[in-house]
Amino acid sequence: MKDQRSYFEKADFHSNLPLQFLAAAVGLMLVVMELGLAQWPVFYGAAPNLSLIFIYYMMIYHNKLLPIFSIFIIGIIGDFLLSDLLGGRATALMLLAIIMQVRLFKLQQGDFSLLWIDFGVSCGLVSAFQLILFSILNIAIPSINPILFQYGVNLILFPIGFVMIFAVHQLMQKLKLVG
Amino acid sequence: MRVSDKARVRQRRIVHGALILVSFSLMFLGKADLAAVRNLRMGGGEFLAPLVDVVSAPIRAIETMIEGVRTVASLRAENVRLQGENDLLKRWRRRAEILESENRQLRSVTGAATVKNRTPITARAVTAPGGGFAHTVLISIGRERGIVRGNPVVTADGLVGIVIDVGLKHARVLMISDINARIPVILASSSWPGLTVGQNGQFLELKFLPGEANPKIGELVLTSGHGGVLPNGLPVGRVEQVKDGKILVRPAVDFRHLSYISVLVGGLEGIDTSNLGLDKFYTPLPVLGSERLLEGLNSLGKRK
Repeated sequence: MKDQRSYFEKADFHSNLPLQFLAAAVGLMLVVMELGLAQWPVFYGAAPNLSLIFIYYMMIYHNKLLPIFSIFIIGIIGDFLLSDLLGGRATALMLLAIIMQVRLFKLQQGDFSLLWIDFGVSCGLVSAFQLILFSILNIAIPSINPILFQYGVNLILFPIGFVMIFAVHQLMQKLKLVG
Repeated sequence: MRVSDKARVRQRRIVHGALILVSFSLMFLGKADLAAVRNLRMGGGEFLAPLVDVVSAPIRAIETMIEGVRTVASLRAENVRLQGENDLLKRWRRRAEILESENRQLRSVTGAATVKNRTPITARAVTAPGGGFAHTVLISIGRERGIVRGNPVVTADGLVGIVIDVGLKHARVLMISDINARIPVILASSSWPGLTVGQNGQFLELKFLPGEANPKIGELVLTSGHGGVLPNGLPVGRVEQVKDGKILVRPAVDFRHLSYISVLVGGLEGIDTSNLGLDKFYTPLPVLGSERLLEGLNSLGKRK
């Protein structure tokens, strides 16, 4: 009888690729949701940066599921849809991810208040980076108020987003989708 | 660390570096306003527009519901306000009829040219500005309905912006509040020309007014029609604040509630709209005597 084991051995049941694809799709969905929220008069010109919260969470707890390339795609699509400076958001998010990798251990061990503060700093750095690049390339400084409002909304929404992503993560663990 | 691990880390670093380099390059390419990048951007927007539409639907429904509740709550006050407004409008209507008649008589005397006909086409705003760095909206009509770059976009309240990118079924509008938007305007009561410059915020800044111009709070600001891209007489906003030589204008349109807009098609014959870097079109001419004029007009005030 022909040994069929070799065929099954080739299949990598523990590959991260499907989950990486899923994570990238969720990130993209959040970008589209940001655009939807922007239609709400309250968030006019300053929609909450949901994808940033998602990327921040994923980089701490599941960085293998969100490679830099996925962050690049999420950022570029965000730039396309929000008509921001093309590449501005992508660069800021990728730099944030790389910086986070250096401090990963400290963040993984830290309690929620530390994460919140760190997110505040990270979010501020992303906004400042985009603002500086935008100002240099346009030789003009945009109104700061919407950017500050967006920063504030991001900070307020971070715990909610964190809990929601954590809940989804727990659910997926129960379904044995992720380890 | 094993050799294979080291190689992997090095490989990862190279990929990270390359991606950041690509992003940086895209920023400069995007700023260079190349046709390929414009097409790519518009293509991406057009491809994702239906998805955005679907995701936005529940948000729009919630907004409509909240608006409905708010309307019911303020029905009585609204009724009183509307009655007052109705009286005021009746008075304005009478005044408008008198002015219209006077205007007709004056036109027959001076033979002033009327503005070229532009056909309004109604469309829906699919997106709204979501960040502090760009104020643009995607609208639900494009090339197949005759939309071209440079078409003005308006609502009943006034000017919204100009079409900057056109796809087959969608187009992108640069709003007058965007930092790159420069609109040639005149002050309605004194007719002094100037430019409104967006700030990516709530207000526009009115620049390049002659020194002797004295804008008043609440004064209406209209498009001047200089350059021919925009028709003249469209309300842009009202002067909100004059402080330390800085004049702020509140846009006539409340962009937070932008749902349906009209694109004015036509009237761009003979005008080069391939480069809408508006600052290049409408830079002020050197001061001539006591006058400072906008490009497109000679010192006698006539079109070049």
